[in-house]
Amino acid sequence: MSVGDKKTMQGWLGSEQRRLLIQEYGIFLAFLILVAVLSVSNEFFLTAGNISNVLLQTSINGVLAIGMTFVILTRGIDLSVGSVVALAGIVSASFMTSSATAGVAGAPYPVALGLGIGLLVGIACGAISGLIVSRFSVPAFVTTLGMLSAARGMTLIYGGGRPVPALTPAFRWIGTGDVFGIPAPVIILAVVFAVSWWILNRTRFGRYIYAVGGNPHAARTSGINITRIQFLVYVISGGLAGFAGMLLSARTGSALPQAGIAYELDAIAAVVIGGTSLSGGVGRVTGTLIGALIIGVMNNGLDLMGIQSYYQQVLKGALIVGAVMLDQKRNYGA
Amino acid sequence: MKRWMIALASATALLAAPALAQDKIKIGAAPYGLNAEFMQIWVAALQEHPAVKSGEVELTVFDGRYDALVQQDQFKTMVTQKYNAIIFAPIDVDAGAAAVQAAADAGIPVIGSNTRVHSDLLTSYVGSDDTISGYMEAKTVLDKIGCKGNVVILEGPVGQSAQISRLEGNKKALAECPDVKVLEDQTANWSRAEAQTLMENWLTAHPNQINGVIGQNDEMALGAIEAIKAAKLDVKSFAIAGIDGITDALHAVKNGDMTSILQDARAQAQGALDLAILNAKKGDYKPQSDIWETYKDMPWKDGKEKLYNVPWTPVTADNVDKLLATRK
Repeated sequence: MSVGDKKTMQGWLGSEQRRLLIQEYGIFLAFLILVAVLSVSNEFFLTAGNISNVLLQTSINGVLAIGMTFVILTRGIDLSVGSVVALAGIVSASFMTSSATAGVAGAPYPVALGLGIGLLVGIACGAISGLIVSRFSVPAFVTTLGMLSAARGMTLIYGGGRPVPALTPAFRWIGTGDVFGIPAPVIILAVVFAVSWWILNRTRFGRYIYAVGGNPHAARTSGINITRIQFLVYVISGGLAGFAGMLLSARTGSALPQAGIAYELDAIAAVVIGGTSLSGGVGRVTGTLIGALIIGVMNNGLDLMGIQSYYQQVLKGALIVGAVMLDQKRNYGA
Repeated sequence: MKRWMIALASATALLAAPALAQDKIKIGAAPYGLNAEFMQIWVAALQEHPAVKSGEVELTVFDGRYDALVQQDQFKTMVTQKYNAIIFAPIDVDAGAAAVQAAADAGIPVIGSNTRVHSDLLTSYVGSDDTISGYMEAKTVLDKIGCKGNVVILEGPVGQSAQISRLEGNKKALAECPDVKVLEDQTANWSRAEAQTLMENWLTAHPNQINGVIGQNDEMALGAIEAIKAAKLDVKSFAIAGIDGITDALHAVKNGDMTSILQDARAQAQGALDLAILNAKKGDYKPQSDIWETYKDMPWKDGKEKLYNVPWTPVTADNVDKLLATRK
């Protein structure tokens, strides 16, 4: 696009319309540019196998980031997801291992039971955080920081610090299987995304989440039960973290007590890059998905080009801050 | 009245404590952190030492939580409580020196184990030379691919002493095979999940070109195996090696997927404890652990040596079942 085009566009659209256009599609445009650059610079980037790899590598962070979006939309934060990943991973794995020593008595149990237990562990962690944040008005940062520590400790206590190996093939399918060539974790991410999009955009509960984050006082006076909304977003985040934990152990083939360390940071990064405001009320789950894809594509692209992972960290840092700078400009500067 | 009773009780306890301490040798073990399997085996080995089981030694384990400062504070605690000797596995070679200094100032002997520390004040050190394991694992990979082809290296966190030494060993072996090309060489931070992602991307970037995988620990080698399986390639057509001999890796060796080099946590722990007791008793002691029988290459020499090098054991189809039997 030349400078002249830009001028016509400015004349053509009002500033408000232009603002909305950038907000809606700015991050998508950035994603397309990144994909275009990587396609040109590496011959393997745009192959079917690699696209499937990128989506696979994005799936776990994607699921976590979508849960995080619910929380951040209400002005909260969930720092505990990485530890919940490990706890749910190891507890559920102990029900689905064929190892004689690492499992609970009677293991392996059917996959449905194991999945249910992992999900329940995540939901329980989220419910505890949600209860403390919503009922006792403890800041989310502090509450979930506590849960980050407590859930990691419980992981080590539960498994005695040892990994749970030899997970059953039926359970491993959710991490390694595929349907018509599409990896199972990618399908799971797509389903989680679709359901979340529907909740946030098409239900009353979704509108309430935006209302609570946008202006809690107004939300309260208009009769919204903000305690309940605040509680539920942590339950969602915890449940999805539990699910992500099982995806991770199914993918690596063994549930590790050290799993998920610092995963909360990548999840928050995806949400922020995707344009959701940390001050609540503004943001879209579509943006989060693209934010997660940007991180995944960047890591993959730099690996393909053989660039040290330290550069990936620097670039990710620049991207996070850059995205928020853009956000500030579009909100106040345009 | 109640207050008086408490005061009386504490006074009795204070008087009783030194009397008890004289009966038993108090030894503190300060491992850098207890989250990983290796250090759990190390601690379990200390607790199974004959002198601890017989009650001759009272052993306390301090979890360093991967923090040099935490370890330093634990040393201060051990100095105040007048421990007779300390077994130390520092998180950092340089930061550990201050802790050793504090113990030496109080006249408490410190025996190093597993990880190194830059300090002349260490009484003895029992560990394994990572340069050797790095050489051994790379050699098994290179032998299997016939000293030609392409390999990738999965490194530990850059700058950690094990990563530096194992890489040095890797490079020594690679230098003997000038026809072998290192296609990729990156850190996966000892992590299985990170190595898996890295290997998935490398398999894409170098289709059908990677012949060997040198993982600087077992976790990363196992991650590479998962990536190869996910790409629907034959794991057995790759030469893959790791180091440490963790349980999952032993199963993979049994399965024929990789080789591993066992680092003997038990020997490092029990050897250090024998030396700690010897120094606590000021020389009047015969070692009780069976490891001195097992490793003839590492003689006791009256406990006078500064450095005890525990040999590495390659894990093969022949000894893997015996090793797995010890991991119940």
